[in-house]
Amino acid sequence: MKIGVIKAYMLKEFKDLIRSRMIFLVYIMPTLILVMFGYGIKLEVKHSRLIILDHDKSELSYTLINRFEHSKYFNTKVLDITENEALRMIKAAKADIILIIPQSFEKRIFHKDKTEIGAFIDGAFPLRAMTMQSYVQGVVYSMIRDLMERYHIRIKKIEINYRNLFNQSLRDENAIVPGLIGLVLLVAPAILAALLIVKEKEKGTIFNFYSSPVKKSDFLIAKLTPVFLLHSVNIFILLLWALYLFKVPFRGEFWIYWLTSEIYILISLSIGLLVSIVTNRQIVAVILTVIITVIPGFLYSGILMPISSMSKEAYIEAHLFPVMYYNHIIYDTFLIGQGFEAQKNLLYLLILIFYAALLFIIGSALLKKELK
Amino acid sequence: MDLIVNRVSVYYGDKVGIKDACVEAKKEEIIGFIGADGAGKSSLMFAIAGVKRFKGEIIYENYAYHSPKEAEKIKDKLGFMPQGIGLVLYPDLTVDEHLDFFSDIRELKRDEEYWRYRQRLLKMAGLAEFTDRLAKNLSGGMKQKLSLICTLIHRPKLLLLDEPTTGVDPISRQELWEILDENRKKEKSISLVSTAYMSEASKMDRLYLFDDQEIIASGTEKELIDMARDYTYEETECEEGCITFNKRTYSLRPLNAKKAEPTLESLFFVNALKKNKIPPPIQIEPREQKIEIPPIVMEARGLTKRFGDFVADDHIDMVLRRREIVGLLGANGAGKTTFIKMLLGLYPIDEGELYLLGKKISSPEDRQELKSKIGYMSQLFALYKDLTIYENLVYFAKMHGLGMEKALHRIEKLSKGLGFDKYINEFPKDVPLGIKQRFSLAAAILHEPVVLFLDEPTSGVDTVARAQFWKLLHQLKEKWDISILITTHYMSEAEYCDRVVVLKRGRKIADDTPQNLLKRFPNAKSFEEVFLELYKESE
Repeated sequence: MKIGVIKAYMLKEFKDLIRSRMIFLVYIMPTLILVMFGYGIKLEVKHSRLIILDHDKSELSYTLINRFEHSKYFNTKVLDITENEALRMIKAAKADIILIIPQSFEKRIFHKDKTEIGAFIDGAFPLRAMTMQSYVQGVVYSMIRDLMERYHIRIKKIEINYRNLFNQSLRDENAIVPGLIGLVLLVAPAILAALLIVKEKEKGTIFNFYSSPVKKSDFLIAKLTPVFLLHSVNIFILLLWALYLFKVPFRGEFWIYWLTSEIYILISLSIGLLVSIVTNRQIVAVILTVIITVIPGFLYSGILMPISSMSKEAYIEAHLFPVMYYNHIIYDTFLIGQGFEAQKNLLYLLILIFYAALLFIIGSALLKKELK
Repeated sequence: MDLIVNRVSVYYGDKVGIKDACVEAKKEEIIGFIGADGAGKSSLMFAIAGVKRFKGEIIYENYAYHSPKEAEKIKDKLGFMPQGIGLVLYPDLTVDEHLDFFSDIRELKRDEEYWRYRQRLLKMAGLAEFTDRLAKNLSGGMKQKLSLICTLIHRPKLLLLDEPTTGVDPISRQELWEILDENRKKEKSISLVSTAYMSEASKMDRLYLFDDQEIIASGTEKELIDMARDYTYEETECEEGCITFNKRTYSLRPLNAKKAEPTLESLFFVNALKKNKIPPPIQIEPREQKIEIPPIVMEARGLTKRFGDFVADDHIDMVLRRREIVGLLGANGAGKTTFIKMLLGLYPIDEGELYLLGKKISSPEDRQELKSKIGYMSQLFALYKDLTIYENLVYFAKMHGLGMEKALHRIEKLSKGLGFDKYINEFPKDVPLGIKQRFSLAAAILHEPVVLFLDEPTSGVDTVARAQFWKLLHQLKEKWDISILITTHYMSEAEYCDRVVVLKRGRKIADDTPQNLLKRFPNAKSFEEVFLELYKESE
């Protein structure tokens, strides 16, 4: 290892990053992704417009209406219109849900007859519809449970929403922002690392490396260290945004977050290195990096859907990408705080280290000091 | 011998870069590689520089290497400057920072001797006053000189320079050669230099001629010229198996004519004859539609183009007459392409007046009806690479609004006349550059224009194809009364033009017939030297 050579290359790299204003990209892009996605993704639905047609007008039906009216998830209106008119309101996007309480609803329940409540939900956005459906179910179930308890009827089945176990306040930010850090720290360092190498290939300055005695290892260290250092700062910036802008709780230990994130950046760098080996154009490098990092970083990371509820193929895919392991530890440090007392977290950290080492070794083995 | 290249071949996938090349060189020698683009010069340089895998053996100072990996050992003695202006420079670093960087990666000691040498290099390159300037703000010539001194800073013993002078202005070119000459004397290094300019051959000790991925001949300039002596005659009528160009006729069979003094270019013609690669003859038919052409086809008065603070073309006056071939000459960045783009309306004109076919152009509508009378061939041959040549031509004919019947008829006639009919169903990438150039021209003249703008059509094309192309332009002029404005950075092509206009950094420095220019500088032996004088005069 020749320190002088590495220093010269790194100095050039920093000057280039600053003078070409790429440095802005390094610090603006991660924050931008975090802020935009953090505010943009809303999984829960608040204030959905609910219209209730009460054909019963009994005490029980008033109790039910009352429960909906007291929930922050619904803006409830009780209207005296026909079903067709109500349906038309959904079509005109003036309502999201219609709930129809049939005649003799109360009477049938106390006679232990079968009865039905009609719920019509705007299904234009399936995810939103499903969420609204589960809210309606929740309100109805909880009322029935109370009824059963009061009148001593046996309870057959209770449904619990597991997803919100560690997010009791049901805040979207808590569920999404830590996952976004996992996305950003996978995408941004990879793009920068790929660009720093591919830029030289595209312009032709790579010949300075090819035709000089500079060692491959020195070149790699010189290229990747600036990316590592610059993005290490982002670990802190992103944490500050999460804590102070999105008010996500931090229940774990800081050093675990830091250490895991640094290892994770090494993985990202190595992905960038691999991309730089197969591409010769900057634009291709960027697109390729975005594709291979954003998709696993988003879909297979547990942000949108818990890994445990994925289909078998997706479940295996999720385990192949490093994102899942990182996110597991990060969610733990933010929301749970078990740290390495939980064996799983320690195991996942080891897996991350293994990933970093593997990708880096493959990348540096494939990098050739010659034209293809 | 200090450098022996023994049967080296380079492949790109299954495409051949160079085949079985053998080169030898001694210390202090400057060896020239001469040939067209794609002839194999760069591939051989890559192999010697150890940046590309190759077959065969290279021995430098008794150390033999067969792969880039083995070549690592000689890389501290190696200086390599690949082809392309400013290719190895970082646009956002200054001149000084470049020298620092190149010194650091070679781990040079900063002793007194180092600083003395560095200062001398800067002075030689004329960059001593610009050490704080960013590379992106340097002119093309300055970039090449900076690249050269960065390559020389560690005093390489084996210097590989791939077309360091192409497109560079004549004065910078001369300076580049002076630096090189001084370096080889002082450092006793081997220099391998490739060039696209035949006139630079006289600066080399020995030459290797490249054609079609092979070295076809080697020796001193005189030896090489002698090789062609037996086959070079004064221009004469000749039926078969010969090529006539530039007042000389080449034939392998004895001709009943006086022998003529060959040039280095002659050898390429002789080689084409030997390999039986005589380009198909050209026969241009007269125009289908007779039209009246005004005596002055194009007139520019004070045409100016600015890009921010940079003036690309500064008040340029020019006239193009009927039946006239005008060469627009200048180094890279002189403003040639910008000028043609203004004529075509591809760039808005910032200042000045333009008259095309007697009509003042002041709005895009004015141009619309003239489009059918103008033909244009762009620098990079604007062809669709996923269409065959035939499909390309049909497409261009349709764009000009030719009816299908007429279009097919003209395509057939032109493809035969221009001698590319046997390639017509191939894709552009599969045909030689010379053929590509011909059918690009066909695409530009399908609609029978009265004026033709050609942007660097001969750049990188081999000698024989270039010669044929000029013949073709002259036939077009005679049979069609067409006017042609053609840009080129080969100063030697001035002699094929009726008149030349020389641009230098956006300004016109000459506008005269080639004969008058030669008369003006009686000491100049060639057009290269005429332009060097012109450039010096305007400093």
